[in-house]
Amino acid sequence: MTSCRKSLVARAQLVFGRFARSRLALAGLVLVVVLVATAAIAPLMGLQSPDEIDTLAMLSSPSSDHLLGTDDLGRDTFSRLIHGARVSLSASVAAVALAMLVGVPLGLVAGYVGGALDEGVMRMLDAVMALPPLVLALTIAAVLGPGMINGMLAIAVVAVPTFTRLVRGQVLSIKHDDYVTAARSIGAPRRVIIFRHVLPNAINPVIVQGALGIGFAIITESSLSFIGLGAQPPTSSWGSMVQVGFQYLELAPWLVMAPALLIFAAVLGFNLLGEGLREMLDPNARSR
Amino acid sequence: MLRYILARLLATIPVVVMTSIIIFSLMRMLPGDPVNVLLGQAHVDVSQETIAQMRKEYGLDKSIPVQYLAWVRRALTGDFGRSIQSRQPVLSVLQPRILPTVQIGLAAWLIALVVGISVGIVTAMAPNTWKDWIGSIGALVGAAMPYFLVGGLLIYFVALKWGLLPASGFVSPFVDPVASFRTTILPALTLSLGLAAVITRQTRSSFVEVMQRAFIKTARAKGLHENYVIANHAFKNAMLPVVTILGIQLATVFSGAVITETIFAVPGIGRLLVDSILSRDYPVVQAVVLFISLMVVVANLMVDIVYGFLDPRIRGN
Repeated sequence: MTSCRKSLVARAQLVFGRFARSRLALAGLVLVVVLVATAAIAPLMGLQSPDEIDTLAMLSSPSSDHLLGTDDLGRDTFSRLIHGARVSLSASVAAVALAMLVGVPLGLVAGYVGGALDEGVMRMLDAVMALPPLVLALTIAAVLGPGMINGMLAIAVVAVPTFTRLVRGQVLSIKHDDYVTAARSIGAPRRVIIFRHVLPNAINPVIVQGALGIGFAIITESSLSFIGLGAQPPTSSWGSMVQVGFQYLELAPWLVMAPALLIFAAVLGFNLLGEGLREMLDPNARSR
Repeated sequence: MLRYILARLLATIPVVVMTSIIIFSLMRMLPGDPVNVLLGQAHVDVSQETIAQMRKEYGLDKSIPVQYLAWVRRALTGDFGRSIQSRQPVLSVLQPRILPTVQIGLAAWLIALVVGISVGIVTAMAPNTWKDWIGSIGALVGAAMPYFLVGGLLIYFVALKWGLLPASGFVSPFVDPVASFRTTILPALTLSLGLAAVITRQTRSSFVEVMQRAFIKTARAKGLHENYVIANHAFKNAMLPVVTILGIQLATVFSGAVITETIFAVPGIGRLLVDSILSRDYPVVQAVVLFISLMVVVANLMVDIVYGFLDPRIRGN
């Protein structure tokens, strides 16, 4: 009997090929890799110190000394941007990871077990989702207090319902598949069925949503910091740089534009990456 | 149709109740004694007896569910307590801020609707041409642009460099319609970009999908003019998912209003939320969040009704 299963290499080529066919997805991947890599190696880059105050050089324009000028305390903007990237990116990724850690199991259990548990969870989610995301994140951050970690928690809470609903939807369509029924019929415990059989087949849209979620988290984190609730001095994220920059918009527009453009680039990168992942993992999805 | 509307109305009640519970619980989770929170800075000077009396007055000596019900009962009569900052009744602090937010939000939503649907249709009708590429890339870019970038660029060029429009503030249309219009444009444009981007993408994909359906082929086969086919058969069907998106966007408008109003110094609800959070004026925070969620629920209800109007199948005929 011949096997019609392709080799692992061939299947991988097929899947990654779908991703690579989209120029936009590749662009997104490049953007994300560049940003993340730069942020990661920041301390090794031999930049000027992001916190070094130089009162003789306040609000100076971009020059050979300071690639993107200086802020109101004479600190080098370029270096602050790169170090800010570490803060913004790591907080956003952590927030999404946390949201997945909570939301995915919740969706799995609610979807598989069904009944009153499912109803209860869905009503709770409906109520949470009734509040606009930033408003909810702001309120939670207000309750928890200022600070990066609290901001991260606030974003995670806002992001959980999306993952839970997504997974639950997947589970609802998977749980009547043959292999699940087969597992049940041989007496596999629910825990095993959910995590060994249902989860791997439900995970694809979660990965897509993860990438898109990081984009959302970056924007929300920068909004929180812009308002004054996320990063607190001396920690500085892109959002807090924008907040300072707005006070000097007429004098030194680059103070606003530089971090704002980077936020834009990061969000665009992750959005494109997410779209590319969607093409790769679920080519039957309705799209172009 | 009426039955459908009533059904949707009834469905909103549990959501509103649960949302109010969440808001109430969040406020109760604030660190420290609620009385200290209510008194603000003054709590160190106040005697123990006064604190005990305040506790009784605000019903803080009762159980949490009883407190919640008391809060609801007071809220229904419009009593949201007093602002810690200004000692004014919260409702009177909230009221004058509604107009700017609604005006800018509505303007942004309408701009996004018109621009988004138009661009969406144009790109859907000409797939894979230069029109499509510009529209689609524009949508991707527009969706990723943070409000500070768009707002910052607009303020810097239009307001500061060219002096065409004011960079901040808000004038009521009842005071001076022209000035009101001028103060509304920039914030509305800033807010509308992200919304329009999403609407464009949804309209495009929705149209492309509908145009491939069988009934379109039939209409064309009947010899109907192409424009008639698009306008009368494709449009209504393609708009259904877009209407859903428009509803979700009404919530996004409020999220965006928070940042946009801060950037443009508009005295609206969004900025009230920010200011009251930063000054720990929790009675105001509570009322604002509740108000925003109520407006979102009402807006979604209206969208559902429009949806029912567009799609007879939903009405249960």
